[in-house]
Amino acid sequence: MANGWSIIIGLVIVAGMCVAAWIFSPKGENQVLWRSSLILAFVSCYLMWAITFLAQLHPLIEPRRSDLRKEYIHH
Amino acid sequence: MAPKQDTPFRSADMSMVQLYISNEIGREVCNALGELGLVHFRDLNSELSAFQRAFTQDIRRLDNVERQLRYFHSQMEKAGIPLRKFDPDVDILTPPTTTEIDELAERAQTLEQRVSSLNESYETLKKREVELTEWRWVLREAGGFFDRAHGNVEEIRASTDNDDAPLLQDVEQHNTAADVERSFSGMNIGFVAGVIGRDRVDAFERILWRTLRGNLYMNQAEIPEPLIDPTINEPVLKNVFVIFAHGKEILAKIRRISESMGAEVYNVDEHSDLRRDQVHEVNARLEDVQNVLRNTQQTLEAELAQISQSLSAWMITISKEKAVYNTLNLFSYDRARRTLIAEGWCPTNDLPLIRSTLQDVNNRAGLSVPSIINEIRTNKTPPTYLKTNKFTEAFQTIVNAYGTATYQEVNPAIPVIVTFPFLFAVMFGDFGHALIMLCAALAMIYWEKPLKKVTFELFAMVFYGRYIVLVMAVFSVYTGLIYNDVFSKSMTLFDSQWKWVVPENFKEGMTVKAVLREPNGYRYPFGLDWRWHGTENELLFINSYKMKMAIILGWAHMTYSLCFSYINARHFKRPIDIWGNFVPGMIFFQSIFGYLVLCIIYKWSVDWFGTGRQPPGLLNMLIYMFLQPGTLDGGVELYPGQATVQVILLLLAVIQVPILLFLKPFYLRWENNRARAKGYRGIGERSRVSALDEDDEEDPSNGDDYEGAAMLTHDEHGDGEHEEFEFGEVMIHQVIHTIEFCLNSVSHTASYLRLWALSLAHQQLSAVLWSMTMAKALESKGLGGAIFLVVAFAMFFVLSVIILIIMEGVSAMLHSLRLAWVESFSKFAEFGGWPFTPFSFKQQLEESEELKEYIG
Repeated sequence: MANGWSIIIGLVIVAGMCVAAWIFSPKGENQVLWRSSLILAFVSCYLMWAITFLAQLHPLIEPRRSDLRKEYIHH
Repeated sequence: MAPKQDTPFRSADMSMVQLYISNEIGREVCNALGELGLVHFRDLNSELSAFQRAFTQDIRRLDNVERQLRYFHSQMEKAGIPLRKFDPDVDILTPPTTTEIDELAERAQTLEQRVSSLNESYETLKKREVELTEWRWVLREAGGFFDRAHGNVEEIRASTDNDDAPLLQDVEQHNTAADVERSFSGMNIGFVAGVIGRDRVDAFERILWRTLRGNLYMNQAEIPEPLIDPTINEPVLKNVFVIFAHGKEILAKIRRISESMGAEVYNVDEHSDLRRDQVHEVNARLEDVQNVLRNTQQTLEAELAQISQSLSAWMITISKEKAVYNTLNLFSYDRARRTLIAEGWCPTNDLPLIRSTLQDVNNRAGLSVPSIINEIRTNKTPPTYLKTNKFTEAFQTIVNAYGTATYQEVNPAIPVIVTFPFLFAVMFGDFGHALIMLCAALAMIYWEKPLKKVTFELFAMVFYGRYIVLVMAVFSVYTGLIYNDVFSKSMTLFDSQWKWVVPENFKEGMTVKAVLREPNGYRYPFGLDWRWHGTENELLFINSYKMKMAIILGWAHMTYSLCFSYINARHFKRPIDIWGNFVPGMIFFQSIFGYLVLCIIYKWSVDWFGTGRQPPGLLNMLIYMFLQPGTLDGGVELYPGQATVQVILLLLAVIQVPILLFLKPFYLRWENNRARAKGYRGIGERSRVSALDEDDEEDPSNGDDYEGAAMLTHDEHGDGEHEEFEFGEVMIHQVIHTIEFCLNSVSHTASYLRLWALSLAHQQLSAVLWSMTMAKALESKGLGGAIFLVVAFAMFFVLSVIILIIMEGVSAMLHSLRLAWVESFSKFAEFGGWPFTPFSFKQQLEESEELKEYIG
């Protein structure tokens, strides 16, 4: 479902959202405010998601724990 | 040129205007402009002191009225009459006419006289009442002494004749003696009766004893009820005393001492009949006085209650009127033409509105002479006017707290609206805490109207920033989901990408490792995989992830901020700032930190173990890039040709330093020399202004020596627009800029590591709180366990709110604020402006401390 291509797909979606924000921002003196804030918010959120996703894409270490109970181990 | 729309992106276009107002309607015009709140007047009389100005008399008069109104307020507080507060949303004040102000002043005057005379008579009456009460007590108590003392006159006589006899022998036994009416006068004994404060009794007694060498007999009784001291208006406990002594001299002395000790001496007759009459008389008088007193009090209260209805409105009217006269004092008066001349700044786009307002006032006054408003050209820096609305106001305030943006440069608050709350959220990320915060923010916004009136300062501060809190909370919800933290627990929203490798002979306590479920397929789609939660090497993974994220976000934030310096340079038409500052700066920054970010992302995107390679450490890579260009740490390559690329990048960065240093100063010198060679010279120190006529604004040559032209020679904000070009100064400035930029690009990048540190601290702190409260309670069993759970939850919740939301929130906010102020603003904003503070009643009412108690 989610693999390396997700980054690109996410990028396309966010770019689409940014374009939509640019186009559909309400007109008037606050248009610049709407555009800048929405696009910046989308980009920031995408950046954070992408960083998190990338950090787990090819993990160099794996989870390890020694307090697992028997009932839980196969979940 | 069509006027641009004013946007919050940069300061609105400002114009300097000159107003010619007929003297008669100066006040009305000022009033109308105050309601409008769009003109920032310049002081044209700065050489005059406050006392020399034209309208000082009026201001004094209004000061006096204000004082009277404050006096009413204090009287009302004393009488406990509530003030009807002025509600700006409901009550509307029409601009008062001069006669109305005069009437108000007169009314305040008469009312003050009434109130103060009522007060005075009240005080005299009160004093009288106290005296009478004291007298009554003296009569009552002293009467007792006499009744007792008359019974044993013989013994007293004996005692005076015979020095050895005790002064009063067994008074109690003889008080029923038959012959009570025998007089003291026969034995030449006089007495003084009065009242004295209980705390002074001892001293009084001692002094009397010493000065009279014991030649007295003093008797006293406590008055059970406290008496009101009219001078300080507080209850005081007092004693009645009667002093018997021998001889006129001594009695006079006692009287003097009593007076000097603050005692009140009252006339008491020794005969009981007369005394009874006295008592009756005193009672009758007391009743009268009390009646009058009650009436006076009622009248006073009625008067004050009536005043209380309109006091707030009066106060506001007067303070507005005062502001109008203070503004009029800034105008210059042309005696010959009987006109007031005003100068000020106003937003260019609002000129028509101001013009029509002036026209309105003129029409209403029915004057034939029109008021004229002229836009004038000036080379002065206009004030910075950044329009705000309810949402952006608080954001603008935190930016203005750092400084006022230069006129027309990019408003630094624009990126702050998102970056500030977002960086906050990176540090605050916890879904649970964020939800609580979101609820609080939404509540504050939903109940905006009633909460506005809360005056508790800390709350008012949070309330003012409610939209900041809202955006912060929304982003925190997002980052909480990304971190997969809700009160330090994780949510299993999606399937994990890991599965445990269970050995055959699994026993509890064995260390278990996880492997990827699908090595080349499924990855956890949103946020951190919950399988990491509670593992032994969780911190190892999280630290690496958050540290890299901090660097990447910091890089993005700074690059974004740096781009604004390009927009600024383009707007101010200074291409040299693009080529001498922006481009080399950008190249320098990107070739070091852009490269680092690129490497981080590249390293993440490569499957190192899948291709059987060892991943190189990025930190060492960066260090080797500087210390030993051309060699790699341990020879491990991140990508082929890495060594060469790094040498090129380093060279690119190093080359930018001399460009940053020298390009701009030398270009400016060249430009200046070229201009001088063509014969241009500086215009001189005096800033020149050409006043234009209203109808032909296009033609600046039309300034046929209008008198306004001469008036702008002095300026409090005159920052010498036409400075002589000094190469040394420009060079020093550029050297500082270069050093700052290069060093800061390193230290600022490091500064973003606070994002990692604080988010880690927040997560760990909430984990500790959980383990100390809820985790323990959930382990206990039975009824006790249930009770413990309730208590533990209460503790957990309260501590979560206080420590994790409020305290940690404040700390994350301060760190985020610093990132905005220092790391971001230093890349593009000059902060060399001065704020536009228009003459506005609305603002005046909002900001005045004095009026706060009158506005509800």
